[in-house]
Amino acid sequence: MKKSLEKLLNKPLPGDPLLPHKALITDVEELAPDHKKFSFTFLDEKLNSSWNHIPGQFVMITVPKAGEIPISICSSPTRRGTIELTVRKVGRKTEVLHRLKPGDLVAIRGPYGNGFPVEIMEGHNVLIIAGGLGIAPLRSLIWYILDRRHLYKEVYVLYGTRNYESVLYKEELKRLRERDDVKCLYILDRIETEEDRQWTDRQGLLTELIPEVDLDPTETYVAVCGPPVAYRFIGKELLKNGYPESQVFVSLERKMECGIGKCGHCQIGYKYACVDGPIFPLWDTKNLPEMI
Amino acid sequence: MEFHIDKAKVLPKENLEKFLEGLKKLGRLIAPVRKGEKFVFDVIRDVLDVEINYTRTILPPKKFLLPYRRERYTYSTDTLEFKSSFRPVEQIIFGIHSCDLHGISILDSVYLRDNPDPRYLEVRKKTVLIGISCRPDEYCFCLSTGTAFPDGANWDLFLTDIGDDYFVSIGSPKGDEIILKLRKIFREITKEDLDRYKKSTSFKKALFEIEKLPDFGRISQVIELEYDSPVWEEEAKRCLGCGTCTNVCPTCFCYTCVDIPDLDGRKVARVEFTTSCQYPYYSLVAGGHYFKPTRADRFKHRYYHKLVGYLYQIEKLGCVGCGRCSAECPAKISMVETIKKLRGTADEEELREAPEQTTTG
Repeated sequence: MKKSLEKLLNKPLPGDPLLPHKALITDVEELAPDHKKFSFTFLDEKLNSSWNHIPGQFVMITVPKAGEIPISICSSPTRRGTIELTVRKVGRKTEVLHRLKPGDLVAIRGPYGNGFPVEIMEGHNVLIIAGGLGIAPLRSLIWYILDRRHLYKEVYVLYGTRNYESVLYKEELKRLRERDDVKCLYILDRIETEEDRQWTDRQGLLTELIPEVDLDPTETYVAVCGPPVAYRFIGKELLKNGYPESQVFVSLERKMECGIGKCGHCQIGYKYACVDGPIFPLWDTKNLPEMI
Repeated sequence: MEFHIDKAKVLPKENLEKFLEGLKKLGRLIAPVRKGEKFVFDVIRDVLDVEINYTRTILPPKKFLLPYRRERYTYSTDTLEFKSSFRPVEQIIFGIHSCDLHGISILDSVYLRDNPDPRYLEVRKKTVLIGISCRPDEYCFCLSTGTAFPDGANWDLFLTDIGDDYFVSIGSPKGDEIILKLRKIFREITKEDLDRYKKSTSFKKALFEIEKLPDFGRISQVIELEYDSPVWEEEAKRCLGCGTCTNVCPTCFCYTCVDIPDLDGRKVARVEFTTSCQYPYYSLVAGGHYFKPTRADRFKHRYYHKLVGYLYQIEKLGCVGCGRCSAECPAKISMVETIKKLRGTADEEELREAPEQTTTG
C-alpha cells in the first residue's frame, strides 16, 4: 500500500483536468419551446481537429457568470469540426445559456463519461429508444451508427414525446423515416392538432412500441435515454420481450460539479455517474438500488 | 521496515522544543494548539503553543491540504481566460495521530489515483507529515478500522511516546533528510528503546475497551444486507441534517463549485467549497428532482459510501475510526452504535450464550 502511495506522490504534475477551453457559439437553433441546440467550435484549432468523443459522453460547459453544467453531446463524432449541445431551459444556468447568441464565448471541457459501447454493438442489431429530451444524446448515437452503417445489422429508432410541438430535430427525424436502412417508430402522448396527426398517427406510451420491434432480442443491443421515471417501465417491457439485461444500456443524469469523480455529487450507490457512467447496463440496477 | 532498529532514532523529550524550532525553519509549521476546551490544527508562531497531549482536533489536518473554501480559477467575462492564483507553500504538519494519517492516505488515493488533481499533488509534494502516538478516549474506534497504528500510511516521521523519549520512525527520504539536518538533537536507538516501543504500542491496544468497539469484519456485507433495515429510518429521525459529521471527517471530500461574479460582473471567481451528502441540495438537479429525497436516504448514503463505496472506489474503508463524527454530532448520533444496531449485536450475544443450538443446519 505504501509503495503505491509513494508512486502516486512521485508522479510529475499532470495537466489540469478541470481547466475549460474557450469555444465560440457558431449557431443557435430553436428546436421546441425552451429547447435550443447550440453549435460550438473551439478557438484553439488544434483542439478542434483533435476533438473526439463517444456517443453518450458529456461535456462541462461554462456559462459565463452562471457556472458550469454537464450537458450530453448531441452531435456525432463522425461529423467533425463542431460540437452540438441541446439544452432545455430548466434552471438558472440554462436560462443564462439560452440568452447567448452566435458569436458569444463559452468554455468547454471534456468529453467525460464512458459513452455507449459502440464497438461492442458492432455486428449486432441496435434498438434506440428515446423519450423526450432523451433523444439528444441518442442523436449522437444514431448518426454515429448511420455514418458507419455497414458495421451494424438492423437499426430501429423508437421515439416518444408529449406532442408535435415538443418533438426535437423535427426535420432530421422526418428524413430518417424516409431512409430504408433504419426503421423508425414514433409515438405521441397526445394527438390533438393537425400537426400532431401529420407527424404520426400513433397515440400512447413509448413502451407500446417495444413489442412491435421485429428483432432477435439476444442479437440486439438497446440504448435507452429518457426521463428517469421512464426507465422503470421501458426496462420492464424490454425484459418482458426477452432483451438481456446486460445488453440494455440506459443513460442516467445526476448532479455534477467536476465530471471526473472528485466532487462526489453524482454517486449512485458505489458508482459515479461521471466516470463509471452516465451509460449503465440495466443489469447494474440490480446492484444499485437507488439507480432508477 | 520503518520501525526497525536500523531505521529509527530516539528524540529525548527535553529536545522536543528544539525539534519544533528546527521544523519551523523548514517551512510553515502546523501543529495542534488549544482552543478553549478543544484542540485545533493551526499555524504555529511560538513553539510553546504546541499541545502534544490531545485526543482529537475539531477538524482533521485535511484543511491544510484541501481548504474548505478554495478558489479554483478567476476569469474575465470578456476574454474567458482562466487564471489561477494558487501558490502552495512548504509546510510541515506536526502531531498528526495515526487515524488522521490514514485519512490523508485515503484522500491521496481519491485525488491522485484516477484523473489526478495537479493542485492537490502540488500541495502534497510540499507537505511533510509528522505523526505522534496517542491515547484513545471513549469515542475512538481506530482499533476496529485497523488504523490505530501508522503502518502503511504515507507519513515522513512518526513519534511514539516511550516514557522519557520519543521513538522516531522514519517513513520517507524526506523524513530522513530532516533527521539528518537536526541530527544533533537525536540519539541512536538501543535495544531497550525498542523494547519500550513495543511495550508502548501494546499499552495503547490495552487502553481500548474491546467489548465497546464495533465489529468491522465483513462490514460492507452487513451494510449491503441491511440496506432496507428499519434502523436507518430510526437513527435518521434524530439526525438534524447539519452536515457536521461530514465536515469533521478526515476522509470526506465532496465539494460544490460556484461561479461568483464581481459587483460589476466582469471578473468571476470559481470557488469550490466542501459540501455534505447530508444536505438536501446535494443531489438536487435542475428541474427540482432530488435523487436522495429523504433524510433517511442521505443518512444511509453516508454509511453506505464510507463502508461500501470507498472499497469499490479505492479499495479501502472510508472510515478511520477517529470518532469525530460521533463526538461532534449535536444529536449524539454515534457511528459505533448505528453499526452495532445494524449488526444486531444483541443477537450475537445470544448466539454466544447458546452455541449448541445454532450449529445445526
